[in-house]
Amino acid sequence: MPLFGELFLSEIIKKPVFDPKGDIAGRVRDVTIVKGDPLPKISAVIVERGNQLFRIRWEQINLFNKRIISTYLAISLIEPYSISEDDLLAARDILDKQIVDANGAKVVRVNDIKLEGYDGEAVLIAVDVGMRGILRRLGIERGSEGFLKLFQAQMPYNLISWNYLQPLKPKLKTIALTVPRQMVSELHPADIAEIISQVSREEGAHLFKDLDIETAAEALSELKPEMQADIINAMDAEEAADIIEEMPPDAAADVLSDLPAEKAKEILEHIEKEEAEDIQELLCHEEDTAGGLMTNEFIAYPPDMSIKDAIECFKKDAEDIETVYYIYIVDEKEKLIGVTSLRELLLAEPEARLSEIMETKLKTITPETDEMVVAEIISKYNLVALPVTDSEGTLLGIVTIDDIIDRILPPAAKRKRRKM
Amino acid sequence: MTRWKKFLIILSVIGPGIITANIDNDAGGIATYSIAGAHFGYSLLWTLIPTTIALIVVQEMAARMGAVTGKGLADLIRENYGVKITFWLMVALFITDLGNTAAEFAGWAASAEILGINKYIAVPLGAIFVWVIVVKGSYRIFEKIFLFVCVVYIVYIPSAVLAKPDWSQVAIQTIKPSFQFSSAYIVTFIGLIGTTITPWMQFYLQSAVVEKGIKKDNYWASRIDVIFGCFMTDIIAFFIVVACGATLFKAGVKISSAEEAAVALAPIAGKYASILFAIGLANASLFSASILPLATAYYICEGMGWEAGVNKTFKDAPQFMWLYTFLIAVGSLIILIPGAPLIAIMWISQVINGIMLPFVLIFMLSLINKPELMGDYMNSKTFNRIAWTTAIIMIALTGMFIITLFV
Repeated sequence: MPLFGELFLSEIIKKPVFDPKGDIAGRVRDVTIVKGDPLPKISAVIVERGNQLFRIRWEQINLFNKRIISTYLAISLIEPYSISEDDLLAARDILDKQIVDANGAKVVRVNDIKLEGYDGEAVLIAVDVGMRGILRRLGIERGSEGFLKLFQAQMPYNLISWNYLQPLKPKLKTIALTVPRQMVSELHPADIAEIISQVSREEGAHLFKDLDIETAAEALSELKPEMQADIINAMDAEEAADIIEEMPPDAAADVLSDLPAEKAKEILEHIEKEEAEDIQELLCHEEDTAGGLMTNEFIAYPPDMSIKDAIECFKKDAEDIETVYYIYIVDEKEKLIGVTSLRELLLAEPEARLSEIMETKLKTITPETDEMVVAEIISKYNLVALPVTDSEGTLLGIVTIDDIIDRILPPAAKRKRRKM
Repeated sequence: MTRWKKFLIILSVIGPGIITANIDNDAGGIATYSIAGAHFGYSLLWTLIPTTIALIVVQEMAARMGAVTGKGLADLIRENYGVKITFWLMVALFITDLGNTAAEFAGWAASAEILGINKYIAVPLGAIFVWVIVVKGSYRIFEKIFLFVCVVYIVYIPSAVLAKPDWSQVAIQTIKPSFQFSSAYIVTFIGLIGTTITPWMQFYLQSAVVEKGIKKDNYWASRIDVIFGCFMTDIIAFFIVVACGATLFKAGVKISSAEEAAVALAPIAGKYASILFAIGLANASLFSASILPLATAYYICEGMGWEAGVNKTFKDAPQFMWLYTFLIAVGSLIILIPGAPLIAIMWISQVINGIMLPFVLIFMLSLINKPELMGDYMNSKTFNRIAWTTAIIMIALTGMFIITLFV
């Protein structure tokens, strides 16, 4: 079958369609859309020749891409078409329409439609609601891109995935986002983050406000740093503090470090003292070092604690802490002397002491260690977390593998968006 | 329906029509009427009757489209004709409205100077005032105040009476058409229609009707609002032409702007007539200077699919806020350039309005005759005839104007 990689609808409108002899069978006027699984798909291409319209069914299309569109049919066999109200035509019915959210507020307009080859079909994967779409329709996308390059600026892609739009039916007046606000909370935080990063800034902030604090905190961690700062900045300090408090201290410190100093201070004042101190401690490290990546929430017990007691304590402590795979053993001066894993702990004799099962050959890093070095160590020794100590060997915090991965690979929401 | 209930509906719907019609008598409008009176006496008065009819027809169409479709004019153009046409139409209207905004500030500067305030103080203050209103988001309250401020336009009536016109002459010339084939006459003629029926008003009115939530059922009341507003506009225009015709034309004083008219009135019709004239101008200029850029930013964003609204911030609705800010900043800065050709700016902006109008009318006519949009509320034959005639006359007049420029 005919397809191709991906293209925008505006790139094929008015393009000639060739028949097997190489004659022009007509120029693309529109495409008809039908329900498909999982996404709506093109069922036929409507072409214009002279003043007449003709329909070429998708099965009759040979090649379909930005450069060339052709059909297997000879010109004489192509069936005439007259525009019907009951057909759904992409250019006529979808382009330029408004996308509204569940509450009927105006959001954006469909500037273009993105198509992609999937299983031999051409499916609608997203709508372009950004400046790029407008410029493309005006035929000056390339030129504008070049112009912006002179200023080292880039034009963002602004697409809404079809997954978030209502199923299509003929006689559309507006298109609605399918994910009504009240349903958003039920999604995975990473998915919420993806939606928030795709809709307009204002709409994103709205969605965010309706989330419960816990979900909000998780979704916030998944967003790009600028986006995080925007959203937190738009909230009043007290609201923001509630959400920040829910986040692990390292993530909280990352968010706060992107805010204007004034706002960050104000928010910290609203956060419980102990937690605020933890965050502040992290704030003074450079962002791309172990200090900037680490969290100061970890589990540490004295060496003479019995396994049985350790498990009891663990059950309580593990509730508020993100990474629980390692138990660190520290002396009375908080100097790190050993580590054991959750697995070792569970397998050990209940009466034994922690000092008996702990590993003393430790890999540690200092807060100044570069993030790439941290990543190398974690990868080389297959660790889930790496302890950070100061020059005296005092345990300051741990760098966990998920934070390192986020640093090496951009967060999912960001990556997806770039791909589309 | 009881009379009382009908009355309540009218009260709830009233506003868009009257306000639109009154902002229409802006600085450029008053200048055009003054010049028409001063240069051609009462001989252009007759044009006000067909103009009023055309104005009612056009405004009624805009209000009807708003009530029936629930969408603004820019929305409809975008959805029916695509982004390309919309984009270039918006670019053209943006330039026109930038000229119009500058004209409002020119009027404001001029009236301030007549009333003894330096323009280098008045213009920045005026610009900041109108900018803050929107940025601080109190526009809705402001619109209510404005409905009352519309009453200030009545000052032109005593101003005309003080000029002691020959009322029988006025009456005759109002109903008896005449025409002169001179470039000045034709330009003034186009200016008169162009200033009375402006392109941007149609966008503003339709959006205002949509925003007020007026539906098909209450549409009859909105129609009253529109007709009343149109009469009000042209009655004010009538008295301005009469005031200037009775004094300046008789005395052979040639003027080129509204403030010259205000100043020139003093020795002939008395100081009060002159001051009243200036107050009317100041009022008209400042209110139009706030609503015109706002309306422009609104409908451009409407058409392009950008966030818009007075309660949004620069971050939420950057295009809207920047368009609005740019129009006010540049519009007022032009006026502050020493030796800027203020009169030419005011004048030319009216003529460009006249040239742009047919395009907007053609879009309106084609939209309002689409059954899928308007259903039973499509234009009647009479309406179509009047609206098409208006469009064709505007095109013809503009053509004639261009020819007279070269002959």
